[in-house]
Amino acid sequence: MRLSTLPLLLLMGLFFVIPLIMTALLSFQGTQYYRLVWTWDLKVWTDVFSQVHYWTIMWRTLVMALICTLLCTVLAIPIAYGMLHRLSRWSDHITLLMVFAFLTDAVLKTFGWVLFLDRSGVLNGTLEAIGFPAASVNVLFTPNATMIGMVYNLLPYTIFTVALSMARIDGDLVLAARDAGASRLRAFVEVTLPLAKPGIWAGAVLVFVLSLGVFLEPKVMGGGTSPLAAELIRQSFETRVNWPLGAALTLVLIVIGAAALTVFGAVALWQARRVAND
Amino acid sequence: MVSPIIKASGIEKYYGTYRALSDISLEVANGEFLALVGPSGCGKTSLLKILAGFEDLSAGSLVIDGKDMAGIPASARPTRMVFQKLALFPHKTVAQNIGFPLHLAKRPKSEIDTAVRRMLELMHLKESYLNRFPHELSGGEQQRVALARSMVSQPPVLLLDEPMSALDAKLKKSLQAELKHLHRHVGTSFVHVTHDLEEAMMLADRICVMRAGRIVQLGAPSEIYYRPADAFVAGFIGDTNLLPAKVTRVGEGFRFSCEILDCTEPLLSADQVAPGVAAGGDAALMIRPEMLRLLPQGENAECTIVGTVNEYFIRGASIQYRIAAAGTEIVMDIPGTSTLPAKQGDAVRLGLALGDLFAVGA
Repeated sequence: MRLSTLPLLLLMGLFFVIPLIMTALLSFQGTQYYRLVWTWDLKVWTDVFSQVHYWTIMWRTLVMALICTLLCTVLAIPIAYGMLHRLSRWSDHITLLMVFAFLTDAVLKTFGWVLFLDRSGVLNGTLEAIGFPAASVNVLFTPNATMIGMVYNLLPYTIFTVALSMARIDGDLVLAARDAGASRLRAFVEVTLPLAKPGIWAGAVLVFVLSLGVFLEPKVMGGGTSPLAAELIRQSFETRVNWPLGAALTLVLIVIGAAALTVFGAVALWQARRVAND
Repeated sequence: MVSPIIKASGIEKYYGTYRALSDISLEVANGEFLALVGPSGCGKTSLLKILAGFEDLSAGSLVIDGKDMAGIPASARPTRMVFQKLALFPHKTVAQNIGFPLHLAKRPKSEIDTAVRRMLELMHLKESYLNRFPHELSGGEQQRVALARSMVSQPPVLLLDEPMSALDAKLKKSLQAELKHLHRHVGTSFVHVTHDLEEAMMLADRICVMRAGRIVQLGAPSEIYYRPADAFVAGFIGDTNLLPAKVTRVGEGFRFSCEILDCTEPLLSADQVAPGVAAGGDAALMIRPEMLRLLPQGENAECTIVGTVNEYFIRGASIQYRIAAAGTEIVMDIPGTSTLPAKQGDAVRLGLALGDLFAVGA
């Protein structure tokens, strides 16, 4: 082993492995009068597995994360392509605007959406002004609003990764496809899309992992009516001061995320093999 | 000429205000091998891209295979391109790469398979390569796959954009020979862009020399080599000697005087003078290095040059001498011999036939 790997090992150990082990150990303890008790039993775990409520939230979190990932990926592909090829003259300006929006604090952006989507907010006011009935868009404080917020906040991750991998494609390859008789769309499907796959997968994985942990959007835009896993975990730690429960739920979320990523990876691998054998 | 496969008339191309091509008119006969030659930035690649449909023309007209190409996209043109960097699809196998144009044309799988195997044989590629990816092949093999892909649908015109510029000299030679053989075999018209006039002479039926967006000369290789239109074309290949001279028209021919060259009768016939040479005034006499020979003691020639050997290079099949004569360096190539006929510092006399001289505008 080289000495140069030491900082990385130290970093991974200190900030990833040890906290994970501590979380796992914590889940085998109990609480009494809001105080941690070192009991070393499975009480918390039996609790977790017997409460349907927790699993409803976990399932909702997984479904929301998958939908968000799908939406972000599907939206990012045409946006990245358009930015690079159709609006290439404005590409720098668009990137600047996106980075600006991306770096703006998520709390501000999310509250901005509330002002925009509110029953008497900017959107409804505008619609009313051009003749629609009052408060015709009534999406705020529903899971749909949560999804809008999630997609808005996470979309830049997919746009940037997809655009990056598309920009690296040799332009001659697309010309070669056109020369061989492919329409623009066909060249995109046959050349651009498969070659951008690494970026598409990377963006999807990034967004999936991040969307499993969203916390702000369901609370602020979803109105807290259908909380997701992160909110559940926060409540366990903060409101109920039940650290062992919070730790156990954290581990459940990590396992779900890891399992989903394993499936992702298997699909990606299977796809790559299928292309090779086709 | 039978009806040409390509007919370009008065093509102009502007990039903004920069004029990349001016008044390009040329015809390519069916089955002809035409080379577009010129230094980088001369417009040869722009012209090729216009033929392929990757670039629009700013003015003029282009007819390929009897159809006006205005508004016809690259995908619908009867041309196929072989790219400089080959542009093989890295995510597709060799078989998928070669069969791609047919796959796009929605041909049945069995037909594609047969065509791909036929191309494989024509290009001397092993059948085991079919399921490999381009990056698993050598440079020369990738070259052949690229050629196979562009030929598989039997296009009337093949456009080649310096596809051999990245190869090493030996591989280049063997592929050049194969390309010429391929051209004879398939009967497709080739338009080949290169900056290497030697390559163009080896391969092409006709050569189009370009410079600064214009056609300087269009003709057979021997014409380009022995009767260049001007000093630029003359100097484009090898180490050409261009000797300053004064010419005056005498009847049909030209009388000339040149400080370095001593001729018994300094007269050029009308076909030894490029069209651009004025009836009287400055010109340059072109002498190809291989036209000169060393004169043994006591022997004479129609024209002679006296000088001293500056340097020599033994190149195996030939020996190149660089000789100082009246302040000018003369380059001479003579057939290689095991005994060196002259060494550095030796005083030498070079001989030349009067008929080998050719005058271009100075």
